[in-house]
Amino acid sequence: MLSLMTTDSSPDLDERAPASAAELLARVSQGDQVAFGQLYDQMAPRVLGLVKRLLIDHAQSEEVTQEIFLEIWQSASRYDPRLGGASTWIMTMTHRRAVDRIRASQAGRDRDLRIGIRDRAVEYDQVSETVEVRIENERVGRAMSRLSELQRQAVSLAYYGGYSQTEVAELLKIPLGTVKTRLRDGMIRLRDEMGVAS
Amino acid sequence: MTKHDSDNFGESAAAHALNALSPEERAAFEKQLGDSKQARLEALEFSETAAELGLAVAPVQPSASLKANLMAQLAATPQLAPPPPATPAAGNLEPVGPPIAAETAAERRAARRWFSRPVGILIAAAAAIALFFGGTLVGQTINSNQFAEQQASALAQINAAPDAQRATTTTADGQPATLVWSGELGQSALLVEDLPALPNDEAYQLWYINGEGAVSAGTFTSPGSGTVWRVLDGTMQAGDAVGVTVEPAGGSKQPTTKPIIAIQS
Repeated sequence: MLSLMTTDSSPDLDERAPASAAELLARVSQGDQVAFGQLYDQMAPRVLGLVKRLLIDHAQSEEVTQEIFLEIWQSASRYDPRLGGASTWIMTMTHRRAVDRIRASQAGRDRDLRIGIRDRAVEYDQVSETVEVRIENERVGRAMSRLSELQRQAVSLAYYGGYSQTEVAELLKIPLGTVKTRLRDGMIRLRDEMGVAS
Repeated sequence: MTKHDSDNFGESAAAHALNALSPEERAAFEKQLGDSKQARLEALEFSETAAELGLAVAPVQPSASLKANLMAQLAATPQLAPPPPATPAAGNLEPVGPPIAAETAAERRAARRWFSRPVGILIAAAAAIALFFGGTLVGQTINSNQFAEQQASALAQINAAPDAQRATTTTADGQPATLVWSGELGQSALLVEDLPALPNDEAYQLWYINGEGAVSAGTFTSPGSGTVWRVLDGTMQAGDAVGVTVEPAGGSKQPTTKPIIAIQS
């Protein structure tokens, strides 16, 4: 029932590359720098793409991308292929580190939230729009289109905006419980539409 | 778990995969996660789903310097050893595919050429550990810092070279040894873990070996533990093997003992 989770979740990458990300990761864990270079070539544009979506600033995004790849080098041995594809592992780490970076300047953002809810609401509209326009992957785009507008807003703000569920609630002026429900229902729908679940 | 708890848990699982939890909420969720196989499965599915969202973002090409910077840092960045075979996180989920072979092609090649036994895990911690350069340099304290700097910079250059490669083997006594080289630079460096210390009147000597014989590539000593490494003197030719023998301090013109390390580039 978990069969999909062990396949690398980016077949477009695999077709192009001679070695899969999982294979390269296994070699990297053995200190293979050539494999690391190949893994970097495969994944760095994906990693930087997501980091930059979250951080906006290019220089800062490259800095975080470098940190992420050093972490990949250090902890490659901790990747367990039974727990999902290699690109999933890398993108999960990527999102986490980018969000860590955003929250490191949390004080500033808290202030923004309190003072400039209206401005942020404008920003949210832009985020939401950009998300819809720039999703390249057809399968993911299709799955997103199956969400209700409200679910899509909540999921996009959390994942592509890097907002916590509490922040999303403040941003949309709705109760936290409502945000939780939208995130959950949205993720279940996405999971089922993408065929991640059995 | 009551129905109510279960609902809360599911809500947190989605938010967790989206990194939308506060540190406290995340800690609480992950603690709860350990108790239930079903919960871990759901968390995995949500993580996979979130990663798909990440992969759907338009890629952005990084600057060329980013890769160069990274590659130059690898040798100085220690790697974590693999976790014990049965990790609690993985233990209760049934494996659905064969585990990825841990042995690399390069290692298999090296093992086939020189030794029949498999090579252990290597940790490239070269620049992070105490170095000791001996042999002809013992006592030359004024020059040794300069030498160490030259060595470190040469190692960084090799690592940063676009064609940098590595091969691994073990010494005759089983210590892991790694050769890093760049054909373009014509340079190589050898890293050995826990190489035994030698008496004062002996040193390890490096050799470039090809069909025409052995050429000395410098000497070094080892403190006996940790990783000892040395960039080889002279120029590496394509296809050279690198050997290490124990010689009288100061080195020999040709190897006088059986190599303790032989590694094919």
